[in-house]
Amino acid sequence: MHEISLVRNIFRTLEEEFPYDFGQIRDIYLTVGLLSNVQPIAMENAFQAVLEDEPRYRKTKLKVEVLPILIHCSDCDKNTAVEQYRFVCTFCGKPSKEVIQGEELLIKKVEFED
Amino acid sequence: MEAIKPKSNRAAAGSVQCDNTTFNLLKVNDFVAKAIRDRLPEILVINLCSSPGSGKTTLLQETGKRLKGKINMAVLVGDPETERDAIRMRDVGIHALQIVTGGMCHIEAQMVYQALDHFDLTGVDLLVIENVGNLVCPAAFDLGEDFRVTVLSTTEGDDKPKKYPRMFLSSELMLVSKADLLPYVPFSVEAVTQDARDINADIEVITVSSLKGEGLDQWCDWLIERVLAKKNKFQEA
Repeated sequence: MHEISLVRNIFRTLEEEFPYDFGQIRDIYLTVGLLSNVQPIAMENAFQAVLEDEPRYRKTKLKVEVLPILIHCSDCDKNTAVEQYRFVCTFCGKPSKEVIQGEELLIKKVEFED
Repeated sequence: MEAIKPKSNRAAAGSVQCDNTTFNLLKVNDFVAKAIRDRLPEILVINLCSSPGSGKTTLLQETGKRLKGKINMAVLVGDPETERDAIRMRDVGIHALQIVTGGMCHIEAQMVYQALDHFDLTGVDLLVIENVGNLVCPAAFDLGEDFRVTVLSTTEGDDKPKKYPRMFLSSELMLVSKADLLPYVPFSVEAVTQDARDINADIEVITVSSLKGEGLDQWCDWLIERVLAKKNKFQEA
């Protein structure tokens, strides 16, 4: 994946959302769905690399949480966790493309320093 | 296009947790993708994806020849470096512009939007965006397309869809290319179709050979049908 550009995107997004306070950000919580093809370890390494060029973020830490894929079946009105990339409802066996979790690439939470 | 403005100037005094705020890292891309859709209400846009060397460019050369006189096709072609593919398109009379991504592994909506300013689409019915050869990263980036088509060649192996699930999940059509090599390689069209449909039960499959011509008429008909459907929808609206 393109982790470096994603990390730069995180900073750009936060500077846009918190134009006055981004210097005080200490912890960034990232939520990535399994389908986003983002590897936590690669993301954390890229984060460290970008920090070298971004002194104002030196104290910031990145925490990455991976979410499994969930699909919804409109017939059963139930959700199934996708395993082995089989997009099929466990309850009735019908295929479903309605992904309700797993495509995320989100900054879920930001903590500021005291 | 309007600039994207900050949502707030929330003051973060002391210790603040923002549990209720979630920011989508792809929101800028998705915003520009929508701008592309709004800008091309009459032209069918196809995002053509695959791994490197699957035969996208050769397929488009042959597609252009067959569509001549029926519909007007233009191609935006993305590569990390060189203008070679655009030159190959122009060699066979296809209106083409190269997007050089400068090493990037995928095309982003912004690149397409900027390219449109330098690309005359007067009289064009079909715009194909030939993505960078890569089955991973391009899957996450909406380019404002109507349909995503993924090419998978018989030399790559019939086990690929599940290795790259997001790409096949988000494609409407899988083109199995280099069908002329089927007698020589251990590749089963049936197995690859099953693998792809485990992920995406609705995906259509067409087997093509750009060198021998097999399946190309079916592929061109698939395109023409959708070009006409989009035009009709526009005229009704």
